[in-house]
Amino acid sequence: MNYKRLSVTMTLALLLAPLGLSAHHSLVAEFQTDNPIEITGVITDMEWINPHSYLSLDVTDEAGGIVTWHLELLPTSMLRKAGLTKALMIGDGRPVTVRIHTARDGTATLGYILKITYADGHYYQLAEQ
Amino acid sequence: MTKLKLTPEIAATGAVLSSLVLLVSVAVAQAPTSPDGHPDLSGTWDNGSGIDFVAPVQIGASICVRGCDTNPRGVQAGDRPTYRPEVMATVNDLEARQVEEDTVLRCFAPGVPRIGPPDKIVQTSTELVFLYDDYTGNFFRVVPIDGRPHRTDVEPGYLGDAIGWWEDDTLVVETVNFNDDTWLTDDGSFHTTDLRVIERLSIVDDTLRWAATAHDPEVLAEPWELRTRTAYRSDSEILEAPPCIERDLDHLVEPLHHDNIR
Repeated sequence: MNYKRLSVTMTLALLLAPLGLSAHHSLVAEFQTDNPIEITGVITDMEWINPHSYLSLDVTDEAGGIVTWHLELLPTSMLRKAGLTKALMIGDGRPVTVRIHTARDGTATLGYILKITYADGHYYQLAEQ
Repeated sequence: MTKLKLTPEIAATGAVLSSLVLLVSVAVAQAPTSPDGHPDLSGTWDNGSGIDFVAPVQIGASICVRGCDTNPRGVQAGDRPTYRPEVMATVNDLEARQVEEDTVLRCFAPGVPRIGPPDKIVQTSTELVFLYDDYTGNFFRVVPIDGRPHRTDVEPGYLGDAIGWWEDDTLVVETVNFNDDTWLTDDGSFHTTDLRVIERLSIVDDTLRWAATAHDPEVLAEPWELRTRTAYRSDSEILEAPPCIERDLDHLVEPLHHDNIR
């Protein structure tokens, strides 16, 4: 994946997250936890499954093509306990900005969601930033 | 001898103390009991899903689910069994290959005591039913308390065969007849089919206290006493568990478990 061709807003967060991001739930075996990025796109689907749920995010590249990211997030039980539903997570169809960890194995469109910010400004923080 | 004068301050203090005594008495009297006089463990219990308790923070229309400033109930960390020296090579090998060998990572039932305290309890005079809303699915265990022995006509299973009895206000549950597909906890903690688990459940200050001890002398150097877990009464109902579909294993670059110790 040539990131230079993507017209999405990608803010490289220089914030260094500690390896013990969630000391009780380490992600380092799968995700790059010291360099989160932000991307913007439209949520098209959510898989309400365990042990992790997934959002599909369509991101438009410079050529106008659609790249679909598959973004892992918390288990459904934790989302439910926080009052979040599949409908709330998907939102109203307007673009959202997600802060994510990217995959260590080079899978370009796989990430782990730290935070979702919706078009009206409200957000759901799902992990330590 | 100086007589104590009943001042307004002393009278007010006495009234407050009397009220407190009355409140405590009422609280004790209202602790739920079953018709046979034993504590009633029925209810839905929030045990934090084995990790930490979700303590979301509402900020206007936004929600902080994790990584918030508050975590009032703290993290209930796990602990580890002690194995006999002659089986440590097996433990270490399984730990090194746990992403291949730990069946819970492929959505199998976690076994006992790894499944932890029940998420819901339904109690009658002859049995208790433990219901679980686990990442890997919905599970149940029926615990007869009518004095019957363990069943001998069923195949070994992931959750075994349980019977229970009361010791004062503590429910004691003995479970046997396990298969050996599960682990006691993470990191290669295997067991044999001779595993026997004793759980103790009690109500303390309207919380459910769950303690467990795993006995497997063939492989354990000593019985493994888990740290007591606390579950809090919840108004939420348990739900049908969504499908468990594992997607991480193909993307792991290190053979590490998720490290959410359970």
